[in-house]
This record gives sequence, structure tokens and C-alpha cells, in this order.
Amino acid sequence: MIENGPLLERLLEGEYICSVTDEHSFHKLQNDELVDDLNHFLRPLNRRVAKNDDGSVYFLAYCDLNQNARQHLSQQFTSTVQSLLPMLEWMQLVQEALGRDGALSLGDTIKLQDFESKVVDNQSLIQRLAHLANDKVFKSSSDKPDMQIKQVFKRIKELGYLHQPHKDRLFFIVTGKVEQLIELVRFIKDEENLPIDDEIPEQEVMF
Amino acid sequence: MSQAPKQKSTAQSNPLFALGKERLELIGKHADALMQGYLDGHINESVFSQQALQKLLESRVLDYPDEQTLSLRPIVNELIASLTQDERKRQINSDVGEHLDQIHTRVQSLQAARQKGDYAASEHHLQLLTERVNDMTGQFGDAIESLWHRLNTEFGFVSSLDDKILEIELAQRQLRRILDGFGIINFDDLIQLAGSDGSLRKLLVSQLQARISEHSGSLLEVQKRLVLLMSRFRQQQDKALLINRMSAFLRQHPNFQVGDYPNRSQVPTVVNQAHGISAQAFIALDRAQDSYALAELARAVPREPEQDAKSERKTEGFTMALQNLVATQQKQLAKDVEDFFIQVIESPQALSGVDYLAEQELPWEPEMWLFQIVAEYQGLPEQNKQSFMLEKDSAQKSRFNQLHIIQDVTVGMRFFGDFQAAG
Repeated sequence: MIENGPLLERLLEGEYICSVTDEHSFHKLQNDELVDDLNHFLRPLNRRVAKNDDGSVYFLAYCDLNQNARQHLSQQFTSTVQSLLPMLEWMQLVQEALGRDGALSLGDTIKLQDFESKVVDNQSLIQRLAHLANDKVFKSSSDKPDMQIKQVFKRIKELGYLHQPHKDRLFFIVTGKVEQLIELVRFIKDEENLPIDDEIPEQEVMF
Repeated sequence: MSQAPKQKSTAQSNPLFALGKERLELIGKHADALMQGYLDGHINESVFSQQALQKLLESRVLDYPDEQTLSLRPIVNELIASLTQDERKRQINSDVGEHLDQIHTRVQSLQAARQKGDYAASEHHLQLLTERVNDMTGQFGDAIESLWHRLNTEFGFVSSLDDKILEIELAQRQLRRILDGFGIINFDDLIQLAGSDGSLRKLLVSQLQARISEHSGSLLEVQKRLVLLMSRFRQQQDKALLINRMSAFLRQHPNFQVGDYPNRSQVPTVVNQAHGISAQAFIALDRAQDSYALAELARAVPREPEQDAKSERKTEGFTMALQNLVATQQKQLAKDVEDFFIQVIESPQALSGVDYLAEQELPWEPEMWLFQIVAEYQGLPEQNKQSFMLEKDSAQKSRFNQLHIIQDVTVGMRFFGDFQAAG
């Protein structure tokens, strides 16, 4: 258990562990026995190791949803919901600027320079960026696209959706927390019966 | 497969050798124009001279599929695609039935030649048969390699997810056809065909079987990976759509209220994320065994100049006390010297520093005392300095250098001196 101290500490600090943020620990967490051991330790702290639907990211959840826990969840959920639209718009912006037709997913890499050169080439992307950067989630006061981009990415990194492997290089990797966010979006859509029809056909059965 | 460029021959005397070489060289000679045509899909006639064009047509490299357009013959197209692993154009040919028919015919010819005792003919038939079998397995190999290549590049030759999904579907159909081809190969038939002939058995049964089972294993893996890739692409598409629609919805409904999930009786797992706690620890000295390690740590703390000042204030040890002491003494010395100057002002005559020191029974060393008097005098403002007269009573220490030792200083008021002189 001693050797898992650092991992436990990171989890306790509220970090999300995925193959991007810490591949080694991520693989360790795939071992159910280890997770049982960790859970045993975490029990008095009212926490357990949880993972998202497709097992691409691990984090801590509350065991017992007491008043205190619910209060924290409420705060957290409110702030997540408040930043939901800006986050979605950011994902769209990156996706469109980089000419991808799939959503940003775990492990996708973004070179800030590439992104910036694509954005400044396109008036409508510049406007969308400016709108996004002004949002209270990102709080950029600059009117220069390069500063806005830096601020937005800095904030998203702080929120844990991006990982920056080298401090001095503006090169980011999308973390598993993005997948968790998408799951939340899907959940809200289903739960609130939002009229955003799913026209995508059911995944075809192959073979 | 191609007849001209691909025909193999060991004998250089074979007329095919010269012809094949000539044609391969012809392709090389016009490589630029042909590759341009490969990429454009049609050939620009005007780049060739009439003679060269004629030669390319005769060599079956180019042809006119219809009257206007000149293009590469399909087999050349395919050759280039296969050499460059260009998956957009690479074709998979898995027509096994044709190969099997030819194998049957070859075996019959071979057996007939053996019965006649025609050694040269049977050798020739065996060679053709070997080539035919190799062609067939090679074709499977190429097809599987092409599938792997497309998989490993994640169908990078098309950009949109829709296209990628279509390509995967195509690859799945190709894979299915190759598997069907394997199904046609009936090893019982081949065993019968080979009969008791050792070399035939080896060629048609054991070698072929080994190759086919190797290919099957590889294909199964491809199949698995294709399914995974397909579901990943579909998920990506699906997510992109979800993001677009949700953000559009939220923009249209700025006052949309999400349910209070954290306070439901059943909290959805997707919102159950514990807040972070940071476990802090501090230096504790209540365990004797830690003291050594802690001392090591304390020594290892890098000291920066500004931190020095801080840490000295914190550890008010003897260094500080000593410094304080020195500072107090310094002050006292300065004050005594000041008193000496006051005495000089009040005194009618010039005073000797050493005598004053002795008279007052001050604790200072004469050297230090004299030094301080001189320093004080030098430190006076120019105007005041003129009011005093300072005489150094010094003697040369040695004849060999210019060192003078000050033995005493006499300080008096200048006006007094002047007055005295005048008087």
C-alpha cells in the first residue's frame, strides 16, 4: 500500500487519473484488487474510487451521500453546469478550427500555434473566440486573439480538461475528464428529455 | 495479374526477359508523366511525342478506355497503388476459384508429363504450378497487408468521419470475401490431387495450409480491430452531434434549469465526484528517530541571500548577539571620540589623543582610538574640518619602506592656533 501513497494523494486532491495524465497509475487502477484496497483505506474519508462509463478515467466519489457530501456536490454541479455552455462552445471551436468532424476526445493533441493560426485566418472564428474568452468562466480582458487563446487554454487546463506535458511548450492533450463531461451532457439530455433529437441511427450490429 | 512486367524468368536468354526489361524501363523513362496521370486520373497526351505515345500504347501501359481520354491501364494503376501503398486505389483481388482451377489444370499437365517421362516438361509445369500457388497466397498476403495498413493509419487517406466509416464498411466486405475465398480451398481435394507425390503434397497441402492458417489468424485480428475502430468513429460522430445540439439548445434556452441531481434521493453516479482534500503535514520533533532526517533536511534547505536575513532574525542565536555587541561598542567608541572633540573645543590648547585616553581611563586600545579620531576628523564637513587642526605624530617604521606609524594625534582649534601664531 505504501507505494500507492502518491496515487492516493493525487486522487484525494481531486485529480482525475486517465491514460493521458498518468498512464502508469491509470493501468494500476484497472486492477480491481488494488481498487478494493484503496477503497478500504478511503472508507473513513467517505470516498471510493469511481470511474466513468467506458472506464477511461478514474476519480473519487462519495460513499455515503450525507448532507455534507450533497452540499459539496451541489456546489460542484452548479459550477459545472455554469461552465457547460462555454466548454461545449470551446470544444466546437477547436474541432472546427482544426477541421475535425469528430468531437474532441481523450488523447487528442492540440498545438496552440496551429489552433491560433487557423483562428486568426477566419473572421467568424475570431468573433466566436472573443465571445468565448469574455465569458465569466474564462475572464479574458484582452482583445487580442493570441492572449484570449492563452487565457482560455490556461483556464481549461486548470479545470482539468487539458494536460500540458511540457510546461514551456504550448502543446496540450485532451484528458479523460472531457469524456466525463460528455457523459454528463448525455445524462442531462436524457434525464430532462431535451428535444434535441438523436438522429444518429443505432449503432449498427456488425457481423 | 500483369503479363508483361510481372513475368518472371530465370533464363536471360528467354525472349520475355528482354521484352519485360524494355517495358519496365519504358515505364521508368516516363515516370513523371505516368505518375501525374495516376494522380489526375487521366493522361495529358501532349506531354508525349507521337512516337513515345505509340510505344506506351503498344507496351500496354496506356490505353484509350473511350475515344477522348487517355489513361493508365488498370493493371499499371494497380501496380503503382500497390507499390506506394496508396489505399485509395489499392484493389483487393480475392478471386480464389480462378486460381484453384488453374492449379487443377497444372497438376494434371504435370502428371501427364511425368507419365510420359518428359522430365523437362514436368519441371516446367512444376515451376508454373509453384508460381500459381505463390501468386494465390501472395494475393491474400497483399490484401491482408493492405487491410492492416489502412487500419494502422486509421484510414488517414480520407479525412471525414463519414468517409472513414464507408471505408471501414468496404474493408469489412473485402475481408469477408477473403474469408469466403479461404472457404473455397478444400484441402481434402488438394490432398487427393497431390496423391503420393511428396513435392506436390508439400506445395499444395502443408505449405498452403500453414500460410492460410497464418492469414486467417491475421484476418481475425483485423476484423476485431475494424469493429473497434468503427465503434470509435461512430462514437466520435455521435459525440460531436451531441455537443452541437446541446450547445445550440443551451444558447436558445438561456434560462434552462437543470434538475437538482445532487439532492435527489438517488444521486446519479455521473455527478458523484468528491471534492479534493489536500493532506498537509508539518515538521514534528516528537520522535527521536526523525531528528537526524529532519536535521539533514534543514541543512539541505537552499539559502538565498534574502532568506538569510529572515532566518537570522528567526534564529536569534549568538551571531546576532555578537553583532549587537560590536554595534554597541562601536557606538560607544564614536561617542567617546565625540566627547574628545568637545573637550578640544573647550580646551585652550591642542590636546593629545593618547594623553586624553589615559586621562579619561577609557577602555580602548590606543590604535583603535587614534584611528577613530582620524576617521571622525576626516568625516567632518569641509567647513567644520577647517576649524580643527590635526597633527599626526608619526615615525617611519623602517628605512626600507614608506610605512609611517602614527603614535599620537594632536587636535586643536585652528583659530586658536592662528590667534596664537598672531599673538
